[in-house]
Amino acid sequence: MEFSASPIWFIALPMLAAFSSPLWVRWRVLDQLLLGIPLGLLLLALGLFATVQQAPLIETIVIAPPLGIHLHLDSAALLLVALFCFAVTLVAAFLWHGATETHLRGRQPFVLILLLLAGGNGLVLTGDLFNLYVFLEIAGISAYVLTAVRDDRPALAAGLKYLIIGSVAGVFFLLAVVLIYLQTGQLNMAAVAQAFAEIPPAMQGLIAVLALIGLGIKSELFPFNFWVPDVYRGSDPAITALFSGLLVKAFLFVLVHLAVLIWIDPEIARIWLMTLGALTLMVAELAALRQDEMRRMLAYSSLGQIGLILLAFGFLHESTAAGAFFHLISHTLAKLLLFLVAALLLRRVLSLHLDALTGAGRVYPLTVGLFVVGALCILGLPPLSGFMSKLWILQGFAAAQTFWPIALILVAALIEAGYYFRWIRVLYAPAAASAVTDSKTSKTAPESWATYAPLLLLVGLMLLLGIAPFVIEGALVDAARALLDRDLLIQSVLGVAAQ
Amino acid sequence: MLELLDWLDRPSVLHGLHLVGSLTLFVIGLYGLLGKRHLLKILMSLALMELAVNLLFIALATTSGETAPILSDGLTAFTGMADPVPQALILTAIVIGMAVLALGVSLAIRYHRLSASADIRALADAQD
Amino acid sequence: MSQRQRVPLRKRVRVKTLLLTLLSAWLLALFLTLLLGQARDWPTATVGDALLTRNAETASANAVTSVVVSYRGFDTLGEVTVLFLAATGIGLLFSAPRPRSELSAAESESTPAPPNEMMITGVRLLFPVLVLFGVYIVLHGHLSPGGGFQGGVVIATAFLLRMLADPNFRLDHVRLGWLEALSGSGFVLLGLIGLILTTTATFLGNFLPHPVASLGQLVSAGVIPLIYALVGVKVGAEVGAIFQDMREAA
Repeated sequence: MEFSASPIWFIALPMLAAFSSPLWVRWRVLDQLLLGIPLGLLLLALGLFATVQQAPLIETIVIAPPLGIHLHLDSAALLLVALFCFAVTLVAAFLWHGATETHLRGRQPFVLILLLLAGGNGLVLTGDLFNLYVFLEIAGISAYVLTAVRDDRPALAAGLKYLIIGSVAGVFFLLAVVLIYLQTGQLNMAAVAQAFAEIPPAMQGLIAVLALIGLGIKSELFPFNFWVPDVYRGSDPAITALFSGLLVKAFLFVLVHLAVLIWIDPEIARIWLMTLGALTLMVAELAALRQDEMRRMLAYSSLGQIGLILLAFGFLHESTAAGAFFHLISHTLAKLLLFLVAALLLRRVLSLHLDALTGAGRVYPLTVGLFVVGALCILGLPPLSGFMSKLWILQGFAAAQTFWPIALILVAALIEAGYYFRWIRVLYAPAAASAVTDSKTSKTAPESWATYAPLLLLVGLMLLLGIAPFVIEGALVDAARALLDRDLLIQSVLGVAAQ
Repeated sequence: MLELLDWLDRPSVLHGLHLVGSLTLFVIGLYGLLGKRHLLKILMSLALMELAVNLLFIALATTSGETAPILSDGLTAFTGMADPVPQALILTAIVIGMAVLALGVSLAIRYHRLSASADIRALADAQD
Repeated sequence: MSQRQRVPLRKRVRVKTLLLTLLSAWLLALFLTLLLGQARDWPTATVGDALLTRNAETASANAVTSVVVSYRGFDTLGEVTVLFLAATGIGLLFSAPRPRSELSAAESESTPAPPNEMMITGVRLLFPVLVLFGVYIVLHGHLSPGGGFQGGVVIATAFLLRMLADPNFRLDHVRLGWLEALSGSGFVLLGLIGLILTTTATFLGNFLPHPVASLGQLVSAGVIPLIYALVGVKVGAEVGAIFQDMREAA
């Protein structure tokens, strides 16, 4: 017998804990486990970085690829898995002390959050197309239920909308997988990548469009993302933090990974991905200008950043891809902070509408101060990580002598400055401070420091990564290399089979 | 008559017929999804699309003359049998589809209880 | 008079329906031309064929079962998870405490007619047969068509019939929850044992002896029937819980 640090733990451990949840209810350890399991997995992931740097870990399940399912843990996947575990740990720590949201405590939310983590990890790790579909549905269904978990009218409407649109995405992706199997007889991603070129070009196009519709809906890209603000508006901000920080990132990674791996002609893939990214960026930022509700505004801002990340990934170039990974991390940190601040505000105010929040900065200086830090990080102001990540992306484009994305990113940053400063100005406006205090003071006592600890940790990490990006530079460059090196991946997977 | 049956049994004809049938179902589902307003009808359309994909896979993955991949009734070797992988995948897909459908219907029932509406347009303008 | 009866043109010809029909027809034609004209023929060498030739290794007479439970057992674990999630979500939606006003409204809405004598007697006869049939299907999953999913649903249907025939019959949610928990974690634990034991060293590896000679017998194929039995219990408990939740909500 031996204990192996295999990637299977990232999926099996949350599943095991979720399945045996009645036991944890009886022993009263739900909160501890919800924090402890992702934290343990985060430590495992951090411990694996050195191993994975040398060679990707490939975990075969029952039978070696291309016949069976395998998990593929390379630097890119490991980076995302560590990020997901971190996001869930942080949200769990936040929920532990936030006793006001009773619907987020108890057995069912415990199960849903852990399985969301398992689904996200599985999406990133799996090396098999149908298994990818299964994890897409696991992550999807836990997200639908988490959206509706408050069980009032807006939450149910958001959950239904999410379920319908998400299932459509699932059907389209399933059809793409079915056509791939019918045409190549393979399901393993590496084997499909080898065989895909032999399919007639028209079929290749059909399969690519179907998969793009499916994954585009899931990763909230422009023509398919009309539903996102409603869902973010209807669900709880603490849950939305997970959607923006974990779920979308997982689907975005899958989209780019499949495009690199399966689509042979990088030129065509580049045009498609960069166009989608640029459109998503501009449309979302322009829409965000007009939002008067904090969750909607944050949703559109999140969409814009997704577009920016896709634009940088879609260039399929090592330097911009490293910047894209950096921005992905930085955006997760900032959006976790912003959505958790929104959750904190919602515990005290009745509405997150712009008018209702006038002068809130004078009543809750710390909470609103944290909002400002998060907003500045998204904008990309110097001491924060958002500045460095955007700088890396811009440098990558400049080094490749491609200038239109640079102009686009700068214009987008200007628009971002426009709406975030509008919010900051209103939050600190002297006017109707009395209205804010009236609705709250009776509602709850001031939060303890334990509530703020996760938020302050986020701020600390933003500062650390902004001042000393070299801490993670090696990991980012490795991740970019692993994501873009198609031949290495195919060889490392099918080489195992040849043993 | 027999010639007609033989002609129908040819793999290309058989697969073509299955293809036309299942894709028609898929498009009917898509039409319902876009054109209908009642939540239950929309969920039914979704189920229809899923079933169409399942049907397409099962129908195209077998050719006439292959037996079920099970050793029984005197068969002793795994030869001349249908590909087992599509059947296993579709089993998974059916269960997933059922789970999503059950959840969707439950959400629709709860929503109907709270809002006395089962119209998709009521969802669309669920503003602040 | 005639003025009032005249329906405007845009109402008589439903533009939206027409456009949608045209769009659907165009998509269908596009799909069909692509798939009929451009698709390659069904390839001769697929993953499934390779698995079929190696299937004797699992000593399971039913190749679909060895693919579902062993070769692609990880998918099945995910599938069970999806069902578990749906059951959890439905339980969350329907079993939460309701405000009094909502409760009374729901109850006045539905006063089910009492089941008639035919129903009661018929179900009394059918119930044991159905349960036995379900258990048979679960346990013979590696020998004949069937398995945990099919058998589990048959068992759950037997309990659904009981619910229909006897308004006072209730499935105990706590007990169902424990059944789900035991079978689900049993599945993961069996997988982890396969990972930890050095003889198999893969997740869901078949660590019990499974000699090919015993192919076709009830005790064969090692861990496969065990896992399928757990799947059967889990599916039965979950689908039963879904039925119970929906019935309480109705």
